[in-house]
Amino acid sequence: MDNHTPAPITVRHLRKSFHGVQRVEDITFTVGPGRIVGLLGPNGAGKTTSIRMLLGLTAADSGEALVFGKPFRRLADPVRRVGAVLDAGGLHPGRTGREHLRIAAAQGYLPTSRVEEVLETVGMTADAGRRIRDYSLGMRQRVAVATALLGGPQLLVLDEPANGLDPTGIHWLKQYLRSFADDGGSVLLSSHMLSDVAQIADDVVIVAGGRVRSATSLDEALASSQGDLEDYYLSLTGADERAPHAAR
Amino acid sequence: MLRAEILKLTTTASTRAAILIAALGLIATQLAFTLLLPALREDGAAGADVTADLPIIDMTLPENQLAALNPFGASMSTGSIGVVIVAVVLLGVLAGTSDFRHGGITGAALAEPRRSRIVLVKAGAAAAAGAAAGVLLAATALVTLVITLLARSTSLTAPLPQVLGLLGRGVLAIMLLSLIGLAVGLILRNQLAAVLVMLGALVLEPVLLSVVQLATGTLPTWVQLLPASLSQAAVGSGGALAPGTALAALAALAATTLAAAAITLHRRDV
Repeated sequence: MDNHTPAPITVRHLRKSFHGVQRVEDITFTVGPGRIVGLLGPNGAGKTTSIRMLLGLTAADSGEALVFGKPFRRLADPVRRVGAVLDAGGLHPGRTGREHLRIAAAQGYLPTSRVEEVLETVGMTADAGRRIRDYSLGMRQRVAVATALLGGPQLLVLDEPANGLDPTGIHWLKQYLRSFADDGGSVLLSSHMLSDVAQIADDVVIVAGGRVRSATSLDEALASSQGDLEDYYLSLTGADERAPHAAR
Repeated sequence: MLRAEILKLTTTASTRAAILIAALGLIATQLAFTLLLPALREDGAAGADVTADLPIIDMTLPENQLAALNPFGASMSTGSIGVVIVAVVLLGVLAGTSDFRHGGITGAALAEPRRSRIVLVKAGAAAAAGAAAGVLLAATALVTLVITLLARSTSLTAPLPQVLGLLGRGVLAIMLLSLIGLAVGLILRNQLAAVLVMLGALVLEPVLLSVVQLATGTLPTWVQLLPASLSQAAVGSGGALAPGTALAALAALAATTLAAAAITLHRRDV
């Protein structure tokens, strides 16, 4: 990356409170081109809120979140630059998987032919005509991932994409993301599955209590914890998780 | 974006259900007006006391034929809100709240970060659906009337320009009502809350009109600017406002609520 090319993601000092409760206090990290960054942290740490602020869905109280050097809301043609999996994909149970993707393609001014291509990519062609209410959680997650891939984006932002996926699905997702990054794409991956993140991530950002506790390369994280990402994670987040019990 | 919003409406059962209920309600009301009431009065089957209270509806008269063509199906002036008005408003409400209920608003906001544009394309799609529903209801009203006139060996005496004018204003009023429903849905976001609020408002409107009229002895202008009253006035069925004025006021009401929805969506997190 030269000095004039903005990073796919730059987040600086994000803060956000809801109803007077500070949920995100200070989140700063970057995602470089061709990198997979694992965003890790306990429930309520501020991961999803940070992602939503990054994507312009939630307004930050202060700080800056840039995608390719701009606030997401100022991106031209965002569907072709960023693909996202959030909120279990926003799938209407009464529609078929194919209908959902046709709507998503139309929202992004994408050709309908892309629908069949991404269905093939996520292995959902055979079930695309079934109602989403009849899908398993894993099948819904595959459709959500397919939606993110529709625009052929350069950046994927995935919030718990492996939820409900079976081992085959998780294996496929890891391979796909690694291949995506190797081709120059960037990935921000929020997950609780540390072992899976350890297999594919280049960098990890660990958040707890609304703050970044560590933003480093996976190699450095492993080197400082005898090769165990879980130990590294717990050493940074464990005190926060124990605090409510200690206070009782 | 507009195509996506139209696809959202055409791929959900609630749109079809709302239009179907509106059409069935319209047919039922029109048949009651054009066949049932005249038959009861002529046959005296309802008993002498009731029969004497029934209105004389001479379906050979142009004004009664025009009244029967009311696409809102409320020609009998029962003082209640018709099924058609409820159904077309709920068509808009469901269009406005579906994305919030099922999370589709996130995808819409990711594809089109400018929120006011999301409201604009949703309004375009709801207007198209409302207009399509209006055309269907207008055609249903016309076909139902023609069939009942044929059944009674009566010809259509209402002048064609007046027939077309009434049906055209009806289509526009139905479209505008669906837009008001959409705007309320976008503002409230919660589907159940939006449905209850609109149902409550529509049911309370004639009650409010009656109370105000009883209290003041007249109908102040402001109560005539409520959506159901404007809709009826737009098709020339009640109210002191001229149909064109009522239609313009209904359009202004729809524009105002949509502007409020755009501001709300812009300010809120999705």
